[in-house]
Amino acid sequence: MIEAYLIHLLILICIYVILAVSLQLAMGFTGLLNLGHVAFFAVGAYTSALLAMAGFPYWVCLVAAGLVGCLFGLVLSIPTNKLSGDYLALATMGFSFVVYAVALNWTDVTRGPLGIPGIPRPEFFGFVLSDNFSFLVFSLIVTAVSVAVIWRLASSPFGRVLGAIRDNELAARVLGKNAFKMKSVSLGVSAFFAGIAGSLYAHYITFIDPSSFTLLAVIPIIAIVIIGGLASIPGTIAAAVVLVLLPEPLRFIGFESSVVGPMRQILYALILLLILLYKPKGFLGKVKLE
Amino acid sequence: MVFTQLLVNGLIAGAIYALVASGFSLIYSTNRFVHFAHGGTVAVSAYFLFVLFSTFHLDFFLSVLLTVAFSALLGILLNRFVYAPLRHRKASSVILLLGSFALLILFESVLLLVFGAEVKTIDFIPVSKGLEIAGAIITPLQIVIVVTSLVLLGGLFWFMKFTKTGKALRAVSDNREMAEVVGISSQKMFDYSFAIGSAIAGVAGILVGLEQNLEPTMGTNLIIKGFTGAIIGGVNSVPGSVLGSFLLGFAENFGIWYLPSGYKDAIAFVILFAFLLFRPQGILGVNKELQK
Repeated sequence: MIEAYLIHLLILICIYVILAVSLQLAMGFTGLLNLGHVAFFAVGAYTSALLAMAGFPYWVCLVAAGLVGCLFGLVLSIPTNKLSGDYLALATMGFSFVVYAVALNWTDVTRGPLGIPGIPRPEFFGFVLSDNFSFLVFSLIVTAVSVAVIWRLASSPFGRVLGAIRDNELAARVLGKNAFKMKSVSLGVSAFFAGIAGSLYAHYITFIDPSSFTLLAVIPIIAIVIIGGLASIPGTIAAAVVLVLLPEPLRFIGFESSVVGPMRQILYALILLLILLYKPKGFLGKVKLE
Repeated sequence: MVFTQLLVNGLIAGAIYALVASGFSLIYSTNRFVHFAHGGTVAVSAYFLFVLFSTFHLDFFLSVLLTVAFSALLGILLNRFVYAPLRHRKASSVILLLGSFALLILFESVLLLVFGAEVKTIDFIPVSKGLEIAGAIITPLQIVIVVTSLVLLGGLFWFMKFTKTGKALRAVSDNREMAEVVGISSQKMFDYSFAIGSAIAGVAGILVGLEQNLEPTMGTNLIIKGFTGAIIGGVNSVPGSVLGSFLLGFAENFGIWYLPSGYKDAIAFVILFAFLLFRPQGILGVNKELQK
């Protein structure tokens, strides 16, 4: 019993690590204040779920979730290229509302508020990951690969150019760097992994509906990124573990589940406020949020 | 027939958005950051009226007065206890934006925790039959909404244009250092902008609460429309944000002539995107940051 519960938490941690580390690439390493990360997560989850329901093998769904997420990231980067700070935050947030509204209203495809039930568990060469333990092993592998790729990217010459664009876009352009292309690639890769996380989520819970992808869902992801510290991958991973586990005791004190949901949100919002007040660089952050 | 009805619906929606947007852009132009929690102020005020009127059965007009006073106070408290400390630590506008976003979620979750997810209604005005004007149906309450909104917005316009405080507010929004040089306390103006903006948000909360139901997420929905309206018209300009809000109200209601009504929000965002892309300073606004 306790084992099953731990496995469930570890899978959630994996999904949050991928989401937060991928957001870190855009927000921490490139300085793009993206409040719409959850849109890519939603797009990935829906792509993967719909393809799986249409009978495609899981690896196709997983790759497609990432690619469609990436496509959305690239598309979003075109109109938002010249925006920064407040305006970029509003635009990306607006984007996530468009995605949410489409998921809710395009009922022919997404079934709207009814959601998509009965999403099959991942299957590889006839082996179905029906129990949570094998799903956890699979999630750990996906998470490790995702984190490794983003880490490698961030510490490569490409990553240093991203940092230069974050710190001084004009200077980077003077040095001949194509800031628009770099920012697009960064947002695209970030969205790719958010899509992958969406696929994991959809096939783990086996049910998705638009309510999982509202504005509320983005608060824990942003809180993880800020608490871990901008441009710090170890910090992000640690913060993801802490933030997923932190509200869990609420369950054991004996609150009803209708109370636990809002309490968890209150906890995340308060933590985010306090960290912005007292430690705006986060615990392992290397750069300031500007 | 359909045309006039959509026109009337657009006017009503625009009147509400304009109340939210004018306060939002007053705070934005004076303080230079995005105050998302403005939506939280709207929602909390609506629930405050609900508690006073429907739970404690106070006189309706007394409840309304108390609610407006409460929302102004809430705005000042937010400024003093959240934003002032952040500013004191030299937080960038992005940090203030994230802080206000966290506050918005905090308000929404607290309302959800205290009042539950089910919708509440303030039964002050019984549902009455609509009047027919040129083929469009409008209820007396909706007329009250439009008139109140227009009167308040006119009053705000007069206040900003002709009173000393209004001029000082505009001076701070125009050039904070210069305003301080001539002896205007910007800290005081921040307080004023929050008090006035939040009081208008309180009125918006009351009107929405009477016209529709109360739900914890109402603030988030309204602030999204509010800032979209503000950006369309020009977020630095209070008259601009009012204009933008009415345009948004019309665009949404005429848009659903062609599209399913669920796409109302999506229409708002397509317009938001178009403006961010081609004219981020809005119709009437002048954006100094973009000029730099």
